[in-house]
Amino acid sequence: MGITRRRFLGYTAGVVTAGLRGLPLDPTSRRCVLLDLNERGCFRESVSGYESALTSARAQWMRADARWMVPSRCALLIVPAALEFPPPAVRAIVSCLQAGASVILESGAGFAVDRAFRAHRVALRDYLQLQIEAPVDLWPDNSSQRIPYVDYTWPRPAKVRDFSRVVPLQRQEGEGKVIAWVDGLPVALKRSSGRGNLIFLGSPLGPALWAGDAQARRWLLDCLRTAGAERA
Amino acid sequence: MKKAIGDNMIPKEWGFEKGLELVKQAGFDGIELWLGDVPWFQMGTPDSEVRELRRKVENAGLVVSNVSTGLHWASPLSARDPKVRALAVRIVEREIETAVLLGTDAILLVAGLVTPEVPYNEVYQRCLEALRSLGEKAARSGVRIGCENCNAEQRFLISPREFWQFLNEVNSPAVGVHLDVGNIHDTGFAEQWIETHGPRITRIHVKDVMTKRGRCGDQSVYTNLFLGDNNWPAIRGAMTKVGYDGWLVAEMEARYRYAPDQQFHDTARAMDRLISGRF
Repeated sequence: MGITRRRFLGYTAGVVTAGLRGLPLDPTSRRCVLLDLNERGCFRESVSGYESALTSARAQWMRADARWMVPSRCALLIVPAALEFPPPAVRAIVSCLQAGASVILESGAGFAVDRAFRAHRVALRDYLQLQIEAPVDLWPDNSSQRIPYVDYTWPRPAKVRDFSRVVPLQRQEGEGKVIAWVDGLPVALKRSSGRGNLIFLGSPLGPALWAGDAQARRWLLDCLRTAGAERA
Repeated sequence: MKKAIGDNMIPKEWGFEKGLELVKQAGFDGIELWLGDVPWFQMGTPDSEVRELRRKVENAGLVVSNVSTGLHWASPLSARDPKVRALAVRIVEREIETAVLLGTDAILLVAGLVTPEVPYNEVYQRCLEALRSLGEKAARSGVRIGCENCNAEQRFLISPREFWQFLNEVNSPAVGVHLDVGNIHDTGFAEQWIETHGPRITRIHVKDVMTKRGRCGDQSVYTNLFLGDNNWPAIRGAMTKVGYDGWLVAEMEARYRYAPDQQFHDTARAMDRLISGRF
């Protein structure tokens, strides 16, 4: 069957305006994007935790692959349980920061083997100028008497169960504010980066979200509000 | 109903074959094999040797009632460390594989472990996720996973209704409960667990419990059948009510100090009385 160029364009425009109405053509038009590193992340439950918390908060969010990110459309990028940083993920994080977004970068290196941890540390240092210490075991043998909480101070005070092994921060060069402590160790940081804000978590929050921790969920909601990525 | 006893009851110096002879002589129908707890059945035991274990069991006139393991106490499915969780999953997979090789259709699993470090809600979610996937593997192999109620030690799924809700959420016909009627202590009544779970019970561990005694040094709270506080007529009645006609597996923690073989004979006779319902 012959078809003219004008008629073809007419058909396709009709399909887009009628049949696909409401479907975002730009997959990253959502205000909050959950960057799923798949096997390069560490805890699948962390991804599930953020998904569950964002869904119950009725946030406008989507899960994305780093290769398809459009950073300018994103107000808050969440990277759960990161261990390895493939180049597209680094580009997405840096571009989002440069475009003025907030980025929650959750380290999944607490249980990593030495080699993977070293690579993680180098990537954070080289790409984001973040200095971290080796993981610390908060629960050595016979330590059942310890107080098991990470104390967050920003964007709201929250006590969230620690994750047994945390990645503490070193003293950072330049600006930045420690926003969470556990046992006297700084484990989370907020810092301006590009035109945006980098929020680094050395104690995974995702598993606490997954387990339904109310304070962890409120903490995340406040991050959404602060980043301007609040509601659908 | 048929009677079995665990191979971890066999005195270590006896060896497997001599132990099997004793189990048969005492009147048991089968034997529960404990992966990782006995020298002859370890994670590294190759399939050929597992088949050889089956041959020995059958030559002794017995069958394998089920495969159990205590390895999940050290490597639970609920661990935060992904490497430990991967090992825990592998242990269950090996239980399933060996169950097939040994000609049985049930395995035991201590599903999760609540500790001061790892809280209940995390344990719940991890076990749920792991068992949904393991349930599919078990179903493909024709094996049922029985999650044991280890109420006091596990601090997880402590009431029968909670356990029932958990299994509902797992939602797999291949995942049920391996009920230990001695493990309930002061948190309930074994007969009510039987009524609640009925067809979901894969196997029943039998031992008695002294509910008023806490653990004290090497003194066990568990004891031989009819010496403790379990209501055995009610337990037997509940089995009849729900139509349980499967394996009863003796799991005695307290061991005879002398004449260890006598405990096999005494336990088998007590189980006969339980099955007969004459109290």
